[in-house]
Amino acid sequence: MAEISFPLPDLGEGLIEATVLEWLVAPGDQVERNQPLVEVETTKSAVELPSPQAGKVVRIHGGPGDKINVGEPLIVFEVPDNTAGIVGTVPKEEAPKRRVRLSAVLDED
Amino acid sequence: MSNSILEGAAAAGPARSAAATTTAATTTVMSMQQALNRALDEVLAENPQAVIFGEDCGRLGGVFRITDGLQAKHGEQRVFDTPLAESGILGMSVGLAMAGFHPIPEVQFDGFAYPAINQIVCQIARMNYRSRGTMPMPITLRVPSFGGIRAPEHHGESLEALFAHVPGLKVVSPSNPHEAYHLLKYAATRPDPVIFMEPKSRYWQKGDVDLAHCDADGGDPTGAKVMREGRHLTLVAWGAMVARCLQVAELAAEDGIDIEVLDLRWLKPIDAEALAASVRKTRRAVVVHEAPLTSGLGAEVAQLITQSCFDTLKAPVERVTGFDVPYPSGDLEDEYIPNIDRILFGIQRVLEYKRG
Repeated sequence: MAEISFPLPDLGEGLIEATVLEWLVAPGDQVERNQPLVEVETTKSAVELPSPQAGKVVRIHGGPGDKINVGEPLIVFEVPDNTAGIVGTVPKEEAPKRRVRLSAVLDED
Repeated sequence: MSNSILEGAAAAGPARSAAATTTAATTTVMSMQQALNRALDEVLAENPQAVIFGEDCGRLGGVFRITDGLQAKHGEQRVFDTPLAESGILGMSVGLAMAGFHPIPEVQFDGFAYPAINQIVCQIARMNYRSRGTMPMPITLRVPSFGGIRAPEHHGESLEALFAHVPGLKVVSPSNPHEAYHLLKYAATRPDPVIFMEPKSRYWQKGDVDLAHCDADGGDPTGAKVMREGRHLTLVAWGAMVARCLQVAELAAEDGIDIEVLDLRWLKPIDAEALAASVRKTRRAVVVHEAPLTSGLGAEVAQLITQSCFDTLKAPVERVTGFDVPYPSGDLEDEYIPNIDRILFGIQRVLEYKRG
């Protein structure tokens, strides 16, 4: 298993920080992509941040009322090694259910 | 790959011979990613001139985690991040090599090597030649290669024929964790530039790695390697296609066809003797690669086999390859990369060939 950290993104144009209002997930939770993670408030508005990916939550940073700077760690996910940090997935290797059969008369000369 | 050596030793109990125990003691199960990481760690420890760099290679440890933890252990002077500029990464390698370093640069994905072709072909490959042997280029260029991870465009390519065509470059591709560990350690001690093509779809497959011995004969990891012995036909492959060919060989055995699988390993220079030795025995050959058919390395392999085995070949050497199209991205690559049925069809065409 590998860990992937998701830093607080810039939620507006040039915002530098956000305040945590409420965490909607906790360490140990299995989350799906786009599932709301946390509600934060910026100087512009309060927004829910969707999860950038699926994974198990390992750590969350900051409790309600805490300020987090843009670019600082917000949440850390645990993901299987074969999806860590890459731009693709490896299809499962399975024995074929149907396949081409070979036929040959082999003269052993 | 199975854990057969370890299981065998455990199952046999204390009465097992000393030789088997020694093998088990140096054999460990790891993924190719772990094997490559360990090899690089040891190269850094053994060679103070070795330096590793590339996009995200330092702090992050690479997008595939091949350099994971190496910066923390060996320092920012020896493992570091570069700007997002492949021509700069390889251009800097030339300068470092001139200054006596052994650069081990990474191009993050094979498709990103194209912007650095000038540095690779015009400088790295021929500096030793140009300088009459006074400026060797001991550069080990790691390139996560081939498809199989359903990635976007430029993240899955097969550049082996391109590199193999350039005089002055050596090209190698490991097929499993054991080969990855030994071939990388060997490549990183060469005085010549080596393009090290890592099959990215195999990074997470685990296998036995005998850290102390590369090959049964105890020699250097040069040349090709028979991965499975057989009598009726030789499948020639490299990189990720070796595992698929081994799978095909097991299926063919169900149909009574005994297939030999030859892992070419070195794509430049190609081990012509190993090709000849195998096909002299089996008298039939199919070469499998992911790269497009036309001017692919399969043509070179077919010619080398024909040259040495023309009189005894039962059929023309068959090629099962990718198609002459840009490497497709996403799920579409399943239609492009040689699959089990396409390899079996290739074998069948050879088996049923009639002369005249």
